[in-house]
Amino acid sequence: MKKFFKGCLKNPMVIVFILILIFFMPIAIYSPGENKNRGVVTAVGIDKVDELYEVSLLTFIPTANQTYKDTNSVISGKGKSVADAIYKAQIAMGRKVGLAHAKTTIVNEELLKEDVATHIDYLSRVASLPENTVFICSNKTAKEVLETSKTLESNVGLKLEQLIGFNANNLYVTDTSLEAFYKGYYSDVKSSIIGYLTIMDENEVNGHATQDENNSTASSKNSDGSSDSQGSGSGNNEGENIVSQKSVEQNSTGQSSGQSEGQAGGGGQSKSTSSKQILNQGEAVLLKNGKLVQKLSIEQLNGINLLNPKALNQIVTINDVKFEDKTLSFNFRIKNKKVLTSTKFENGIPIYSAQLILGLELVEIVGEHEEIKINTEFSEITPEIAKKLDYQIKKEFTDALKVLRENKTDVIGINDKFFRENRNSYLKYIDKIKEIDNFINFVNFKLSLIIQPD
Amino acid sequence: MKEIKEHTISARQACVIIVMCIFANKILLLPSLMYEKSKADAIFAILILFALDLIVLPIFFKLKQLFPNEKLYNILSRKISPFLTKLIYLIFSAYFMFKALLVFSVTYVYFKQQIYQDEFLFLAIIAFIPVINHATAVGLRSFARSIELLFSIVLLGFIACLAFSLFTQLSMPIFFISNAKNFFTTIYEHTFAFGDYIFLFLIIDKIQIKKGQEKNFYFYSLLGMGLILALFFLFYSKYQITSFMHNNALADILVFSVQFNAIGRLDIIAMLTVMVITLFQLEIYNYAFSESFLSLFPKLNVYYSIAVFDILFAILYYIFIGKYEILVGSSDIWSPVPAIFINYIIPLICLIIILIELHLKKRKKKDQTYLSNKK
Repeated sequence: MKKFFKGCLKNPMVIVFILILIFFMPIAIYSPGENKNRGVVTAVGIDKVDELYEVSLLTFIPTANQTYKDTNSVISGKGKSVADAIYKAQIAMGRKVGLAHAKTTIVNEELLKEDVATHIDYLSRVASLPENTVFICSNKTAKEVLETSKTLESNVGLKLEQLIGFNANNLYVTDTSLEAFYKGYYSDVKSSIIGYLTIMDENEVNGHATQDENNSTASSKNSDGSSDSQGSGSGNNEGENIVSQKSVEQNSTGQSSGQSEGQAGGGGQSKSTSSKQILNQGEAVLLKNGKLVQKLSIEQLNGINLLNPKALNQIVTINDVKFEDKTLSFNFRIKNKKVLTSTKFENGIPIYSAQLILGLELVEIVGEHEEIKINTEFSEITPEIAKKLDYQIKKEFTDALKVLRENKTDVIGINDKFFRENRNSYLKYIDKIKEIDNFINFVNFKLSLIIQPD
Repeated sequence: MKEIKEHTISARQACVIIVMCIFANKILLLPSLMYEKSKADAIFAILILFALDLIVLPIFFKLKQLFPNEKLYNILSRKISPFLTKLIYLIFSAYFMFKALLVFSVTYVYFKQQIYQDEFLFLAIIAFIPVINHATAVGLRSFARSIELLFSIVLLGFIACLAFSLFTQLSMPIFFISNAKNFFTTIYEHTFAFGDYIFLFLIIDKIQIKKGQEKNFYFYSLLGMGLILALFFLFYSKYQITSFMHNNALADILVFSVQFNAIGRLDIIAMLTVMVITLFQLEIYNYAFSESFLSLFPKLNVYYSIAVFDILFAILYYIFIGKYEILVGSSDIWSPVPAIFINYIIPLICLIIILIELHLKKRKKKDQTYLSNKK
């Protein structure tokens, strides 16, 4: 043993190791836990109130507790800049802000009236913020969204990023992360899409639901008589597909909270007057030069995503299908999709051709029919159904395209595809029209569908 | 003079050292820096730079064949003058010192962002410096063996980073969009990050190359270069026009898209890989510095060279501390000049020496034949 120790001591690395232990072990043992110095921020919200930025941080503070309740707090700070506001929030929290786990960034709709990139400059410079952070906006203040989501998590265990993650997987498909925003922002056409969450008071929600019911009725009436897209878009009338999560606001002491008054440097302990709900309607907003130009409904989003092979599971509704002397509405789900696209210039006109091979599954028949279980005849896509589906899908795409054209935006990569495949012709064409943003308005789209039952 | 413990290394050990040199200064910041000027065409720029590097390899083999057990210092002293050789070795010392500084600086900033945002320079120095000093003190063979031992793990980590990136949204980068001026400026500005075979010249007398083992060097070189090219390609495929915003390529390609948000952060794989690679690179550059320093001052021993390295490292780093941009920026501005000298002029000098030597041998042979015929 003595020989062993002698041998060890002869090795300089062992001595270095021992020295490191001597110097650092006592410091390590006596230093406080990292969570005492640092608050783990899981979501960041940015608002602008009276020319001051208010940054709200949904913060997870690990504390010894029997349950996980009350470990999330919304802490806010106000300042002349986002950095200043975060600094104030840091003071209010009594901890340093750790943004490495921030998975959601929310901004208030108002901020989108100006170039939002100027408001989130701090976040893009803070390298610790992960690139896959979801970037969304809301009709109410970001602080309210965070406070509502806080209680949502406490009450039903649903995290905000899970809610948004569902949207990202199933609705947006085109990525809506901070990174994706910047990709669009720095592109030639400077357009991008970000998610949109609606916050409503309970009373507003009830009113909204009633209104939706009326809308549904109205659209049913339309669908009886005409093929107006209002009710026949993707079959999900607004009132029906709302994922609403009721959450009773509670502050950390158990009192209800809601309308919060974050003060400069003051913490986010807030008092409430009513309960709020997050209405996840799968909406998104279209940005041009970082400014909001149009709010997109789920139908428009589906239209935009039509050429995206990853965008599946949308519901396509067709009305007025005659079957055994009855008029029925059919709901089909897009189960699989193959997209073949090509671009060319024909007689100097840019042409974007897309062929979609859609595997559709009949998921619901609306209307009076006798046999509900075995309806093999329904599984077939008759020429009449195929024609109606073709019309409906093309209409959705045309509607979405109209929005993009009106706003001179390109979030489906039309410019990019032309540039890749017909670079010279494309560049000449851009020279001719002198406005790259307007290119989408000159493109002739040819969409052909092959519809198959799945 | 108490020399660095003289041990020879095998061809495979030299090969793994070369792979580590190829990885140096290219896996974190370089893809982003190169994108700024030449966009995705940076991939072609590094192809050219790699090709220039590869041309150096046959020169090395020929030199080794002609002077199997001689140090580069002795060869140069004999063939050009001792004064010029000293000057070259002085430039070598500075060159490897700055290479070490750049590697450390880029990795330090990366870890600062990823792990601990507060200033932790002292901790980083404590973590790296004793280990690299020890590696130099124990000699080339020992640290070459440790690199050889962990090489497969490093390779696995690197490939895992590349493989995981395939699960994120990728699209083909757009090529041929930068102009010729920007393209060639990029090549010029980033020469410092290349020249990976120069270390082999410094240890030419310590490498045992058996007949037929030359092809191993080419294989490992192509492996390292292939991985770097794959990294560049995947990085540009993932980020495209925002590539300039991401400074840590190997880690950034691992970041999952929104769809995978719930999985959490897998960049720990990149962190471990980068940590080990950096350590080995610093060991290599520290050793190269010591080798050059001891050639300049043959009366001193290895501990002096280590001490000088540490002091210079600390002073230079102190000057650049908090001015990361200065270090990175200066590597674009002034470093190409010594880099071109070291990476290409020195091998060219060696090539001239080889040609003269071959010519002399040929003439000697001719003379001998003539003399024997005369007899």
